[in-house]
Amino acid sequence: MAAVPETIVFVAAPPRQGLWSKAFHKFCRDRAGLVGLWVVLLYAIVALGVWLGFWAGDWADVTGPKWGPVSAQHWFGTNLIGQDIFARALYSTRTAFELGLVVAVLSTFVGAVFGAFAGFFSGGWIDELVLWFMGVIDSIPFYLLVAAIAFSLGDSPYAMYIAMIATFWVGTSRLVRGEVIKLKEFEFVEAAHAIGLSELAIIFRHILPNTFHILLVQATITFVAAIKSEVILSFLGIGIQDGMSWGLMIAESTIEVLAGFFNNFIAASLLMFGLVMAFNMFSDALQDALDPRSVR
Amino acid sequence: MTRPVLEVRDLAVEFDTENGRVRAVNNVSFSVNAGEVVGLVGESGCGKTVTGLSLLGLVPSPPGEVVNGEILLDGHDLLKLNEVGMRKIRGGEVSMIFQEPMTALNPVLTVGYQMTEVLRLHKSLSKRQARNAAIEMLGIVGIPVPSKRIDEYPHEMSGGMRQRVMIAMALSCGPKLLIADEPTTALDVTTQAQVLDEIVRLQHQFEMAVILITHDLGVVAQTCQRALVMYCGELVEAAPIDSLFASPRHPYTQGLIRSIPRIREHKIDRLPVIEGMVPDIAALPEGCHFADRCNRVQADCHERSPVLTPSAEAGAVACWHPLEPQHD
Repeated sequence: MAAVPETIVFVAAPPRQGLWSKAFHKFCRDRAGLVGLWVVLLYAIVALGVWLGFWAGDWADVTGPKWGPVSAQHWFGTNLIGQDIFARALYSTRTAFELGLVVAVLSTFVGAVFGAFAGFFSGGWIDELVLWFMGVIDSIPFYLLVAAIAFSLGDSPYAMYIAMIATFWVGTSRLVRGEVIKLKEFEFVEAAHAIGLSELAIIFRHILPNTFHILLVQATITFVAAIKSEVILSFLGIGIQDGMSWGLMIAESTIEVLAGFFNNFIAASLLMFGLVMAFNMFSDALQDALDPRSVR
Repeated sequence: MTRPVLEVRDLAVEFDTENGRVRAVNNVSFSVNAGEVVGLVGESGCGKTVTGLSLLGLVPSPPGEVVNGEILLDGHDLLKLNEVGMRKIRGGEVSMIFQEPMTALNPVLTVGYQMTEVLRLHKSLSKRQARNAAIEMLGIVGIPVPSKRIDEYPHEMSGGMRQRVMIAMALSCGPKLLIADEPTTALDVTTQAQVLDEIVRLQHQFEMAVILITHDLGVVAQTCQRALVMYCGELVEAAPIDSLFASPRHPYTQGLIRSIPRIREHKIDRLPVIEGMVPDIAALPEGCHFADRCNRVQADCHERSPVLTPSAEAGAVACWHPLEPQHD
C-alpha cells in the first residue's frame, strides 16, 4: 500500500472554459449575430413597453383622418378608418413576441420530452408510437390543421397557438431523438445506471441537459417560424382573432393597396422583416457558437 | 476475512445476435471474500465485462439475458430482485468504476452534482450534508482543494483526476463490493500506478471486496490477491496470485504469462505468443474451447469439456491435462 506521492502535479485549473462560456466568446466575435441580438432586444423592449402600457395603447382608437399621410403625429400615417398605423405596428410587435415565445417554449418542451423518450427507448413501442404520431402530424398540411383546430375550437383565439405547438414540436423531437440515441450509448449513462438511478432520472437529469444546445437553437427557429406563420394565417383569417398583428395589418391593406395606399402594408412588412431577419441572424450565430466542431 | 461477500454460482449470460443466440458467459462460479481484491483476467471479448455487468443487473437487455445462475451478495440472490430492489443495490452496496473516465462522467453536470446525486439517492442526506460528504470523499481519493474542485465540470479535470472522481463516487456510499472494469486502461502508465495504489489503499481503508476486471496481467500482479482467468466465457483457472504466476496450471494461463515482456530477465529475440485465434463464440468447438490452440492437446480434449476442478493447492483449473504444479 503506497501512499500517494505528494509530488503529483495538478496544473492549476485553466480559466473556466465550459461549453457555454466558450460559446459566449465565440458568439461575441460574430458581428452579424451581435447585430441580430441587439435588434431582437430592441423589439423585445418595444413589445414589453406595449405590454406594460407605455405606448401604442391607442392602437384601436380613431385618431386621424382616413388614409392620413405621414406626419409628426402619425409617423406611418393612418389607415382606412383613421387609426394610427405606427401604434398598430408597435402593438403587433407584442402580439408577435407573445406568440413566438409561447409557441417556441411549449413546442420545444413537448419536442424535447417526446424526443427524449422515443430516443431512450428507441426500437421499443414508445418509440414506435411517437414516430407514428410524428408521421401523422407531418402528413397533415399545416394550414388545413390550423383551420381544422380553429373550427373544432369554435374560433378560439388559442386555435392558432395549439395548431402551431402541435406541429412545430415534431422537428425538435426528431432532432432530440437522434441525439438521445447517440447519447444513451455513452458511458456516463451506464454509470448513471450503475449508481442506481431510475430511467426517468437518467432521461431528465443526465441525458436531456446534454441536448440543451439543440433545444436552444430549435427554440429560436420555432420562434421565427411562428411569427411568419402567424402573418399568413391571419391574412387567411384563421390566425389572430382579437387584437392586432402584422398579418391582420397586411390583410387590412389588401383593400388599401388597390386604392394606391401602401402605408399599412409597408409598415407591417418592414417590421416583420426586421424581426425575422434579426432573429435569423441571431439564431445562425447561436448555432455556430454552440457547435463544438466549428472553429473560429 | 474468509466470509464471502459475493458468491456467483453457475452464471450464464446469453445474447441474441444476428447469428443466433450466443452464450457470452457460461458456467461461471466464483466467490469474493470481504477485504479481498480479485482479478478477472482475459482477452477482449472473453466475457469479463459482461460478468461484471451482470453482477449489477446491467447486462443490456435486449439483446442480453442472464439465463442461469445465482449471484449471492451476503447470501441474498441479486437475480431474484426486481428493478427497484436492484437500484438500491447499485451504487449503494455494489458500485462500479468504468474504463473511460473521459466519458463516464456527464459532461454538462458539475462533479459536485454527480457526486451528491449518489449520496442523496442512497443515504438520504440533505443537500448540504451530501456536499460535505462529497468534498470529504474527494479529499480521500487525493484530489487537492476538493472544496473548490467540486464545482468544476469534468472537462476541467485531467484523466487521472476524473478517474479519482469516479472512484470517490463509487466509494461514497460505502459499498461492500467494488467492480472496477478496466479502471486504468485509458490512463497513461504513471497515472495508472497512482490510481491502482489509490484503489488498494481505499480497499484497505473501507474493507471492501474488489473485483478488478482487466486484460493486463501486470495490473493483476500488482494489486490482486487472487485471479480468475477467463477464456471464451468460461473460467479456466482460479488461483492465488503467487501460485498463478509461479506455476500456472492451465496452458492458456501459461501462455498469457509467457507473453508478458520482461526487461530484467534473460533476453529473448521473440516474445512467445499463443498460436491461433480465439474461436468465434457463436461457433465454439466441441470439448475444450482452447484445444485448437493448446500445446498440450490430446485426443480427449476435443471430445469432453473440462470443468473447473479444485486442485491440490488453493487454486482450481479447467483442463484435462494441466501443467504440473512446480515447487520452488
